[in-house]
Amino acid sequence: MRRRDLASIFLTAVPVAAQTTAATVPDELSAARERVRAAGAELAKLAVPMATEPAFQFKAY
Amino acid sequence: MEPNFPEEFFYLSLGEIQAKLRAKEFKVKELTKAWCDRLESRGPKYNALAHSLRKPAMKAAKYHDKDFKRERFRSPLHGIPYGAKDLLSYANHPTEWGAPPFNGQVFKEHAKVIAKLEGVGANCIGKLAMVELAGGGGYRYPNASSTGPGLNPWDVTRWSGGSSSGSGAAVAAGLVPFALSSETFGSILIPAAYCGVTGLRPTYGLVSRSGAMALSWTMDKIGLMCRTAEDCGLVLQVIAGGDGDDPGSADKSFYYTPEYVRPFSEMRIGWDPADLDAVEDPAVRQALREAIQVLLKLGFQVKEVKLPDLPYATVASTIIACEMASVFEPLVADGRIQQLVDKAQAAGIVAATEYKATDYLKAMRLRRVIQDAMAKVFDGVDVLISPSRAKVAERITDRIDDWRSSLPLLAAGNVAGLPALSLPCGFAQNLPVGISVVSRAFQENLLLAVGKQFQAQTDWHKRRPPLPA
Repeated sequence: MRRRDLASIFLTAVPVAAQTTAATVPDELSAARERVRAAGAELAKLAVPMATEPAFQFKAY
Repeated sequence: MEPNFPEEFFYLSLGEIQAKLRAKEFKVKELTKAWCDRLESRGPKYNALAHSLRKPAMKAAKYHDKDFKRERFRSPLHGIPYGAKDLLSYANHPTEWGAPPFNGQVFKEHAKVIAKLEGVGANCIGKLAMVELAGGGGYRYPNASSTGPGLNPWDVTRWSGGSSSGSGAAVAAGLVPFALSSETFGSILIPAAYCGVTGLRPTYGLVSRSGAMALSWTMDKIGLMCRTAEDCGLVLQVIAGGDGDDPGSADKSFYYTPEYVRPFSEMRIGWDPADLDAVEDPAVRQALREAIQVLLKLGFQVKEVKLPDLPYATVASTIIACEMASVFEPLVADGRIQQLVDKAQAAGIVAATEYKATDYLKAMRLRRVIQDAMAKVFDGVDVLISPSRAKVAERITDRIDDWRSSLPLLAAGNVAGLPALSLPCGFAQNLPVGISVVSRAFQENLLLAVGKQFQAQTDWHKRRPPLPA
């Protein structure tokens, strides 16, 4: 390999390529479901006064 | 003869560029061409560019030049180019949300913020890259985007942050003078900190979201990344305001008047020393400590504040997940969800459809508790400060799916809909570090006044990343 070939390898900026499809990770869905369950369990532990309404607004029009 | 724009020109503030335009040092057409050339040639090196808008921008520039010739100046942004996160629609051009299932998607109308900026003569030259679907499903690696991982201009082996990865990188590298971005849970403050730019997350409802991809109706905010706090104020003045097309609109306007903020000596700044303990890297801790000292020297009274012990991140994540599950239900139903780049993101959205209605309602009720708690905190202080991020940008090969477990003010501020400003405040490992200032709702002028004074005392926001290879 010539020096100029070697230099072209090091000096050419190549952006990291985008993936085009998802890599298959079989446990991802069960891990995500576990996070949903854990979040629900954490929320369930917290007592909120009955009079506390959800924090969203509805505007009639 | 075409004007020569030296490298330092691309790091000028909006006021400096506007002054040169009005002094007729160059035409809008020449300015637009120079920025388009730069964005198109360097944007791909950071995976920051989703789509160039050179053609419509050059066409608009011609009309702006006619205005300048007659000295019909529309605003401080007249003739100035900018970029917009690809989550915002630009009429008749692709708006793909960084996600393969939406490749080729085109809308007929501009997002409201883009239409407002067009109305004052600002010129959108490109759509900037983003994490697919703004990352709501949770993603494992920075490459969760159809444009690849956002590369940090300070070190291209590092991430530019998410989900507004292109906005952060483009402003940092001087590819646009400012960029529109959005935050649901950290998507402005984190890339702003990682890239060393000034990021403003406005109060929920201050800026219209019509024409923006919905991720979470009650959490989404449109905001900015700029070179300075002053620039953030000039742009926010244009894009803020009520909008009947946005059900979350607060019907409030914003006028940039930092000079009318009370003297800092009459105000209290609150911070939690435990925030610094959460920072592992001593160089990051040192940069933050010095930034806190600069802020304290602005004259504020200081108060140590501990946020109430509430499940901020769980509430934020649950609200986002439940609303996102409804937004993207059709994508799950027809299987296109599997086209997403990041498998964890796809799994997160599918799993989110399994939340119970009572979980969502509980999170929304706890949100009320959090809002009340934050209001009480702000009874004792005028602004809170906290690291924008407890560390510098991750390597693009690092796993990043634990980021939501970090500093509580990021989650608390987003859940309560409060505004925040991230300011560049130093370097560690040659990478930028940012500090956030948070206030009560609709106190953006106070944040910007703090930012302006901080930037008068420091020059971190003026630093430039190395030229790309």
